[in-house]
Amino acid sequence: MIASTPNALCFGDEFPATGMPCLVHVEGHGLTMTVLSDRDAGERRSESVPFSELTVSVGGLDHDQLVATWREPTGQRTLYLKHSDVIRAFRQAAPDHLTIPLERAAEQVRQVRQRHRIVWSIVGGALLASVLGLWFGSDLLVEFAVDRIPIEWERKLGESAYHDFLALQEVMKEGPAVAAVNEITRRLAEQIPENPYAFDVTVVRSDIVNAFALPGGYIVVFTGLMKKAESPEEVAGVLAHELNHVLQRHGLERIVKQLGFVAVVSIVLGNPPGLGGVMKQLGVELMTLKFGRAQETEADRTGLQLLHRAKIDPSGMITFFQRLAEKDEGRVEWLSTHPMSSARADRLKAELADMPKQTSEPFTFDWAKVRASLSDHTGGSP
Amino acid sequence: MKGEILYPGAFPMVRVELAEGEHIKAESGAMVACSPTIDIESKMEGGFLGALSRKFLTGEKFFFQTLRASRGAGEVLLAPTVPGEIVVLELDGVNEYMVQKDGFLAGADGVTIDSQMQSMSRGLLGGEGFFILKMSGKGMLLLNSFGAVHKIELKPGQEYIVDNSHLVAWSTTTTYNIEKATSGWVASFTSGEGFVCRFRGPGLVFIQSRNPGGFGAWVRQFIPVTE
Repeated sequence: MIASTPNALCFGDEFPATGMPCLVHVEGHGLTMTVLSDRDAGERRSESVPFSELTVSVGGLDHDQLVATWREPTGQRTLYLKHSDVIRAFRQAAPDHLTIPLERAAEQVRQVRQRHRIVWSIVGGALLASVLGLWFGSDLLVEFAVDRIPIEWERKLGESAYHDFLALQEVMKEGPAVAAVNEITRRLAEQIPENPYAFDVTVVRSDIVNAFALPGGYIVVFTGLMKKAESPEEVAGVLAHELNHVLQRHGLERIVKQLGFVAVVSIVLGNPPGLGGVMKQLGVELMTLKFGRAQETEADRTGLQLLHRAKIDPSGMITFFQRLAEKDEGRVEWLSTHPMSSARADRLKAELADMPKQTSEPFTFDWAKVRASLSDHTGGSP
Repeated sequence: MKGEILYPGAFPMVRVELAEGEHIKAESGAMVACSPTIDIESKMEGGFLGALSRKFLTGEKFFFQTLRASRGAGEVLLAPTVPGEIVVLELDGVNEYMVQKDGFLAGADGVTIDSQMQSMSRGLLGGEGFFILKMSGKGMLLLNSFGAVHKIELKPGQEYIVDNSHLVAWSTTTTYNIEKATSGWVASFTSGEGFVCRFRGPGLVFIQSRNPGGFGAWVRQFIPVTE
């Protein structure tokens, strides 16, 4: 005996249902099976079967086992061979009438495995395609959905958020700053054809350098931003950008996209604890990031065009963004949501260079007085 | 290493005696009590990626715990989470078993645990998902079930039909096909069985007398709905 560890399982009437571990050797004339019936006593029982008495097939859960059957006086024997060395030895030694059906069965198994691989590749490919489709096609889907939401709904959505926000802020009702912002907004709004929004701009007294737009045309400008601006054209630049967020319904797109994506992923993947959950989270984060950038670029471009149509010097927009980015004075919140990269500045400058030159029309107010009025008021407050 | 089932029935526990230097792998959280000579290590079987794939793909816990009798002989008490019987199998290096994903309780260190991918039809319809555990190697293997465990012994060519949600483990010498429970599609589902597995011997099939999913659905109707 060369090896003593069992390499096969033998099934038969006198053997347990799990099969008897046994040692199989392939020899020139047939198989020798040794059953280690009682290991402690070292008792061995060998049976030799010539190839002529064997019937072979392929079996097992993964169709990777060689099954050999034959009859003994005590009953039917079925041998399950899994060990690749033994199977190889069998294929070399056994006569053709045994190995040919075996090769055929092995070929069938290979075909089945090939088919499984193809099925898995198709399923994997389909999954990948739907993920990519969702990624690249989602913009179209979101646009389609947003187009069907009435302006009235959007106004209600924005209005409630606007009132909730303003309730906690010190709102400037009148004064040179309010008049200036209203004039800038009016000049910009006049140049928007078929404008469905009645823009509602509020000046909030705060040192925060920020301005934002809510869905439905509600815009908030902080006095901090106005104090930083050296000319009204700079404020107009920010406002033109924000107005375009409203006009292109960016807020709504974002809401639809975020809710919609989570809904779609939940439907597709259910609520799985493992891989699905991670993918879902990742997907949502990537999607919102990508979306934000695209919106900012669009608002920049259309904002610049709007300034041009309103005969307001568009370079104010670029210089203001750049100046804010250079001075790291903190509290410039507008930049945290609108990071001023050199690529963004270059893009804006290139757009500006392409525009036909024109003479700008000045505003009716004196910007120095507007800024002075802001300093007067905030000087007294903490 | 010696294993003994205490309190056989619905709430069993296993006592495993370890000689000095011996160790056993158990499902994370399975240890109930142990001798002070036993050290508990958490170990990611098959390395980090192996553990990760097992966690994500089969839903098995990320870590197995290893209980090692490093400071002298001792004993360990192990118990599964769900009420139900425990089976002790002795792997001899030739026998291999497929185990549904919640079935593993513990195994001697010579037992190898692999995640294996099933074919599309078995994965979709079998009810155990696309990945199941394959146990091979040598040594003691402890499986747990929901309810009592029933062992079906199949002779070569003998067939048996099992509702797939009752499967615990089966030998790799068996084969099975997924079938509808009755000839018609509608009747298949109205009979409450849906899909069944037609097993073909030789080998063993271990089934559990209760269906965890069915029990969950039954409990759910008594849980008050909260806002």
